[in-house]
Amino acid sequence: MVKSKQKPLAEIKDLLKSYSSILNVGCGGCASVCLAGGQREVIALNNELSLLFKQEGLDKKIDGYTVERQCNVDFFQGLSDERIKKYDCIISMACGAGVQFLAEAFKSKPVFPALNTVSIGIDKDIGLYEERCRACGECVLAYTGGICPVTRCAKGLFNGPCGGTNRGKCEIGNEYPCAWYEIYERLKEQNRLQDIKKIQPAMLWKNQVLRVTIQEPYQERYKMY
Amino acid sequence: MTEMIQEILKEYNAKMKLSLKVCAHCSLCAESCFMFIKNNKNPIYMPSYKFINSIGKIYKKKGNVDLKMLEDMKPIIWKNCVLCTRCYCPLGIDIPSMISLARTICRMSGVYPQYNEIY
Repeated sequence: MVKSKQKPLAEIKDLLKSYSSILNVGCGGCASVCLAGGQREVIALNNELSLLFKQEGLDKKIDGYTVERQCNVDFFQGLSDERIKKYDCIISMACGAGVQFLAEAFKSKPVFPALNTVSIGIDKDIGLYEERCRACGECVLAYTGGICPVTRCAKGLFNGPCGGTNRGKCEIGNEYPCAWYEIYERLKEQNRLQDIKKIQPAMLWKNQVLRVTIQEPYQERYKMY
Repeated sequence: MTEMIQEILKEYNAKMKLSLKVCAHCSLCAESCFMFIKNNKNPIYMPSYKFINSIGKIYKKKGNVDLKMLEDMKPIIWKNCVLCTRCYCPLGIDIPSMISLARTICRMSGVYPQYNEIY
């Protein structure tokens, strides 16, 4: 699923400085599952923002509402034009797709993101997520033994390892495994090493490393990451 | 709480009334639900069962529901349905939007799933 993480509070506060009536819209889909933008997080962010505004003597009203999915208009129930009219701006606790969709549905209102969309990833544990797909649109997993060279190789190489592979590890650090070493081992185990020779056209990727999303309350638990 | 629920029931009254009225209990929607198929065709996973026992109940009680009733509804509308929107009704009932409406009402009452619960 899509993994996201809340923006720093100061950044959100700055986005809202010129508005007095704000609606915070949560998403019951991926953002909720990765503990970033569900109903519970909407309530928590609203409480934090209200406190912040109060401390600074600002007269702002902030309400919350959570839809089932911000990427599907069928689930916008309760978000009527009448309701939206009451607010000066909207903050969205959904992924980038949800924010854009909300902005498209309510064109007259400024819509601000409260989350940073991080990756398409797997759930390693509660509040701990790791990237597995960068939605490159050219999936080569069939030839790489189910190991993605785009997300798991620091250079996103498509056709074998670079010269930096070192005893199964990547040159950027010993804590990073070399994706192409793992691909070789996996294909060898499955007796289909011939797949590694299938040349894939080059893609223009910048150097990238695996991105890990750890939600704020779980920072202490997963500090080794 | 009841006032808020009644407000939303009023907004979607026609759609709900029609959906509940035209459901012929034909069970054709069941075959299109992977939750139903994967759970040994247990009838509690039938899309019609899920919408009749969630929004149907709220509608029949005219929104006069208590927290316990909504809490009891939680597994029906969250655990037993993933809102994949694949359920097919030959009479055109929009079952996902009915279940979504039940979720909206639960959310308005502070009843919603906690994804960091240990199952």
